[in-house]
Amino acid sequence: MRVLLVEDDRMIAQGLQTALRQDGYTVDWMGDGNSAAAALHSSHFDLVLLDLGLPERDGLEVLRELRRRGDATPVLILTARDEVQDRIDGLDSGADDYIVKPFDLDEVSARMRSVLRRANGRGDPCIRAGGICLNPATHAVEQQGVPVQLSAHEYAVLEALLQRPGAILSRAQLEDRLYGWDTQVESNAVEVYIHSLRRKLGSEAIRTLRGVGYFIPKE
Amino acid sequence: MTSIRARLLVALLTLVACASLFAGALTYRRVLAETSTLFDYQLRQMALSLRSQVSLAPRLELPPDQGDADFVIQIWDAFGARVYLSRPGLPLINRAVLGYDDLSLQGQIWRVYSLQTVDGVIQIAQPVRVRQALARAAALRVVIPLLLLLPVLGVAIAWVVRGSLSPLRRVAAEVQRRDVHSLAPIGSIPLPQEIAPLIDALNMLLVRLQAAFATQRAFVADAAHELRSPLTAVRLQLQLLDRAPDESARLEARTALGAAVERAIHLVEQLLTLARNEPRTSSGALSPVALEEVVADAIGDTHALAVARAIDLSLDAQSTVLIQGDREALRAMVRNLIDNAVRYTPVGGQVRVVCRSTAEAAVLEVIDTGPGIAAADRERAFDRFYRRASAAEEGSGLGLAIVKAIADRHGAHVTLEDAAAGGLHVTVRFARGLSVA
Repeated sequence: MRVLLVEDDRMIAQGLQTALRQDGYTVDWMGDGNSAAAALHSSHFDLVLLDLGLPERDGLEVLRELRRRGDATPVLILTARDEVQDRIDGLDSGADDYIVKPFDLDEVSARMRSVLRRANGRGDPCIRAGGICLNPATHAVEQQGVPVQLSAHEYAVLEALLQRPGAILSRAQLEDRLYGWDTQVESNAVEVYIHSLRRKLGSEAIRTLRGVGYFIPKE
Repeated sequence: MTSIRARLLVALLTLVACASLFAGALTYRRVLAETSTLFDYQLRQMALSLRSQVSLAPRLELPPDQGDADFVIQIWDAFGARVYLSRPGLPLINRAVLGYDDLSLQGQIWRVYSLQTVDGVIQIAQPVRVRQALARAAALRVVIPLLLLLPVLGVAIAWVVRGSLSPLRRVAAEVQRRDVHSLAPIGSIPLPQEIAPLIDALNMLLVRLQAAFATQRAFVADAAHELRSPLTAVRLQLQLLDRAPDESARLEARTALGAAVERAIHLVEQLLTLARNEPRTSSGALSPVALEEVVADAIGDTHALAVARAIDLSLDAQSTVLIQGDREALRAMVRNLIDNAVRYTPVGGQVRVVCRSTAEAAVLEVIDTGPGIAAADRERAFDRFYRRASAAEEGSGLGLAIVKAIADRHGAHVTLEDAAAGGLHVTVRFARGLSVA
């Protein structure tokens, strides 16, 4: 799950990155409005954590531009602006949620999960498909009611595939979700994770469409 | 509490009463003088007419006068014998001073006219009180109506004063409506010119108060807002510390937590420095301060950061530069200037501090090799919580605002320019003679 963190405060950004990585997210960090807009233009993110008071370009402007382009990437505003009007402006500009600083880390995590859930059209906090049940809050994975132990990377790949059952994700897309820009990607890492997932969940759990990518069949 | 109305009432009524009495006294004197002239003339005329009668009939038996007559007539013959007295039992004098004379007799004063005739002396006397009574009556005729008018005048004065003071009551009501939240100037009341200056002064005060309150409110709001970021960092690191999966993560979170706390403390200190040097709130007397000593202290304060960032920090002080100032405030000012320069200058750069003295000013310069500030942003750079985008380290955003506040307090002028070798060149100019603020 790839997250873009847009935050000009270095300390908060570093703390959030640590926390998000511990939660299993892949995080890219931008410190100003212009680079954030450029990043949103060039790459796909599953979620954006957006500060409003940014150098170069205001966060609201970045958000409005994103929505004008028709990009529906979930955006969660994280800001020190606490006036009711600020919240209204933020939500009406296309934000999916609005959190005021100083925030509680667990609440941010819960709201991120909630926003992601809704973005994928689910109400159930657990993601279910093909007899697999994945709980993003606890990172617990069960198959037919039996708990399965997964590594962080295996979990990330499975979560990406489960988000939209039936949809095919290419190796490149999966790598994108697994690694930020600053990480070196090992050439066959995705194959390795798919292989171990099949070993733990059964060979039929994840299908391959040769030359295109991987998918988890819809029920 | 003194009442203008009561004072005016008492003063005006007293004045009117005094004026009435004075007019009465004046009338009395004038009438007395006039009647005296008149009666004296009359006395003489009577004496002269009697002389012609007496000379014709020296033994004329004049009828005795009625007791209440104003005049007493006495005729003496040439041998000094009284031949006639108009009111017996009332002997005037035996010796006569010719012409007019005042005589005290039986408790009253008499005006006497004595006329020498061929065969004696004719004396005519009149009590002075007759004349006084006339004068008194004339005076009373003047005074009494005036005194009777006093109550009417009093009511009228009270009414006029009340009317004249009514704008004061309206102003009081207007002022009463003002509070911290509505300090609008008092306007559109038609005011007498005596009260207008008071209202003008009051309005100016209200405007200044309003500005001061607005500044204060903005400052508090800004401060509260700005404290959120360091506090967010503190909370974040605290939670990361709680959930750290291993010892190295815990150590990392603890270090970051320490840094976040330091940052919050730094911001609070900067806020305090700024608040202490806000115009009109600053206290502390100014005394002679050697600028280069202050700079040396400030360099000591910022030395560690400069070393950490491998910045070549140098001081160029020609000679002793004395200015009038608050030493601690100046140290904070120089520290902020150097701190800013060191933070914004890339690692390995230079920061040069110059202390010099010219004929008309003491000059402090801080020159760095950092990115500088674009000309368009220089005005804004002095605003509270203004931050340059390229900050390598998290600053409070208050540095230049503090510099400006302290410089203003010392009557000094701060300018931002491009340094010759790129970077920012800050000049603080302490004008001589003006630095005693």
